[in-house]
Amino acid sequence: MLARVAAIGVVLAVLIAVPPLLGIGWQNAMTNMLIASLFAMAFNLLIGQAGLLSFGHAAFFGVGAFATLHLMLAIEDRSVSFSTPLLPLAGAAAGFVIGAFAGYFATIRSGVYFALVTLAVAELLHSLAPHWDGLFGGEAGLSSMRMPWGGLSFGSTLEVYYLALGWTALSILLLWAYTRTPFGRLTLALRDNEQRVRFMGYNAHATKVIVFAISAMFSGIAGALLAISNETANYSLFSLHVSAQVVLHTFVGGSTVFLGPVIGASVFTLFAFFVSDVTRSWLLYQGLVFVLIMLYAPLGIGGLVQAHMQHWSRLRWPDLAPAYALAGAVGACLTGAVVFLVEALQIVFSPEYAAARRRLDGAWPPIELFGLEWQVFSPVTWIVPSLLAAAGLLLLPHARRKLRESWDGVLERAEAERTAEPEPQLAGAVEP
Amino acid sequence: MHRRPRIPRAKAQPMEFLIISALNGVIYGLLLFMVSSGLTLIFGMMGVLNFAHASFYMLGAYIAYTIATTVDFWLGLLVAPILVGLLGIFIERYLLRRVHSHGHAHELLLTFGLAFIFEELIKLFYGDFPVNYAMPDYLRFAGFTIYGTDYPFYRLFIGFVAVAMFITLYLLLSRTRAGLVVRAAERLPAIAESLGHNVPFVFMGVFGTGAAFAGLAGAVAGAFFPTNPNMALELGVIVFVVVVVGGLGSLEGSLVASLLIGLFSSFAVGLDWSLAGLLSWVGLGDWARSVGGVFTLTLSSISGTVPFLLMLIVLLVRPAGLMGERN
Repeated sequence: MLARVAAIGVVLAVLIAVPPLLGIGWQNAMTNMLIASLFAMAFNLLIGQAGLLSFGHAAFFGVGAFATLHLMLAIEDRSVSFSTPLLPLAGAAAGFVIGAFAGYFATIRSGVYFALVTLAVAELLHSLAPHWDGLFGGEAGLSSMRMPWGGLSFGSTLEVYYLALGWTALSILLLWAYTRTPFGRLTLALRDNEQRVRFMGYNAHATKVIVFAISAMFSGIAGALLAISNETANYSLFSLHVSAQVVLHTFVGGSTVFLGPVIGASVFTLFAFFVSDVTRSWLLYQGLVFVLIMLYAPLGIGGLVQAHMQHWSRLRWPDLAPAYALAGAVGACLTGAVVFLVEALQIVFSPEYAAARRRLDGAWPPIELFGLEWQVFSPVTWIVPSLLAAAGLLLLPHARRKLRESWDGVLERAEAERTAEPEPQLAGAVEP
Repeated sequence: MHRRPRIPRAKAQPMEFLIISALNGVIYGLLLFMVSSGLTLIFGMMGVLNFAHASFYMLGAYIAYTIATTVDFWLGLLVAPILVGLLGIFIERYLLRRVHSHGHAHELLLTFGLAFIFEELIKLFYGDFPVNYAMPDYLRFAGFTIYGTDYPFYRLFIGFVAVAMFITLYLLLSRTRAGLVVRAAERLPAIAESLGHNVPFVFMGVFGTGAAFAGLAGAVAGAFFPTNPNMALELGVIVFVVVVVGGLGSLEGSLVASLLIGLFSSFAVGLDWSLAGLLSWVGLGDWARSVGGVFTLTLSSISGTVPFLLMLIVLLVRPAGLMGERN
């Protein structure tokens, strides 16, 4: 417990101390990382804790953003006076109200039907917003300016970053506190066995509506932070792509671990910042990572981390280290092959390349990749990824066996420890 | 790029508007049915809501486009559904079955990820813009002329393919032994399996067939409607509306719902009705117009919204849909 608090303290200290040393691009990326993290945490309150899979969380994210922009516009023309750092409250309120309304209907259904209702709500807003000028500003959307407040100008990216950091940290703390309340335990019970919750006399539907509204409220705060950061928003915030991103972040990070969504959101947004200048196929890699995690590590990155922490004392590194090294090598080979192939194909099939070929009367100019020039029809170009892929695929079964063997050992030791413990005596049990 | 014929306004020529819109609506509805039939069959059998189903439609269009521009248009129509069907079989056999034990939510998420990948792959190979997939010139003629407007033959052809597909599917399911096994496997999989039928194989076959139908729809319709990387997403959400309104798992329901949504979308774009107009019947029109906002939105501008409203109402009032039996 103490170690965890210390770790979180270190992370917070880094998040506070480092950004002033970075450039504006980085500060912006980190603001986006915080917003995505908060959004994923809010989303995970539903799927991770209450077991409800929403495919339309963009609705509440967008509602929060638009509500905040309306308030910012009102402040701008001086009809309302409101402190800038508290702007996300508007997003929270709007998210909560719309979330309670949508949640009331959505939670009547469960499973696939629940997912479809949430999808329909988001699509409803997405198709309505471009035609509704008064509320959503039509296709162009709404724009406003951050007003200075209390000696702070809110003109720089850094100030916005700290605002986002404060709100994200506070929200995640509140979400954590929520899990410790009796109501938080009831939420978990709903996920595990709704029927039993009903038999115990709780109103399952009302509980779900409240959970849904709270999740929507924190999504609204995330949307508000985005509105403050970008000073603009349009109907594309409601699109399925936004709902899809939060699903990807949450499940890659791991929905069963409290801070898992933060891992997924941070990894993906920071990676996007790194590689978006280098490659146009970033979203493809993101999809591949997601599908691979769904297939081979259904609990996500967070689940893997948690498994290691849980069995820390039983891990025998002399066994595990070679297995991990081999798995890492296999992963590197296959990743290299896939990235090489995707990037090469991406260049060959791009309109720029077609234009270059027209200039050269149909000849195939070499492609530039990883700082080298490759001839399109030279066997060398295609032998490199083929060799990498072959090496990876040949070693893959071996790596999987080694991993399974060493982890089976860990689980066996855990099982042995569990059975070695004496049966716990029931308090007040009557001796025969 | 859009080859949709000009949509006549309601006021100009009521009869022309009525007939052309009805025809367009029925044919668009039949196209929706080609895609939604596979989705609803798969859901009925396996309980999997396949997010990647509309991607099969897109892949069909792009494969057919590739073959049409390099070899022949008709060969594309033949090969695209076969390749897409094989892809569907692969996905069911090697990916979906692997995550089956983790539950339906996991299967849903997997197909969701696959849809994501297919969209990005298409962007990788063909670029993030529409491609020029067009029917051969000898198919570009008027089927008939009505009120001085030429009605394109190719639209009728799309409708014809859909009807042929529906009849084939219906005969397969109701008249053949294989269809009997499929229906048994859908209703009571455990008993069908204990009677010696290979239920996983049936599932795989149905998944492949559904994918192939979606691929065929893409190959046929892509030559008339725009073929671009967004087509899967755009059609996908409408297809969800269709299967929900028709009743998840019900083939007849999805046919009725397809036609309903098709007719609605086709009529709504030509009508400038609004809530204010409706309220003026009871003398509140001026008040509503002064309030503005939701009251003055015309039906034509929110025609994209109404299907989702319909879907919400069906989900909340009658989740089994128009013709579904189960909840």
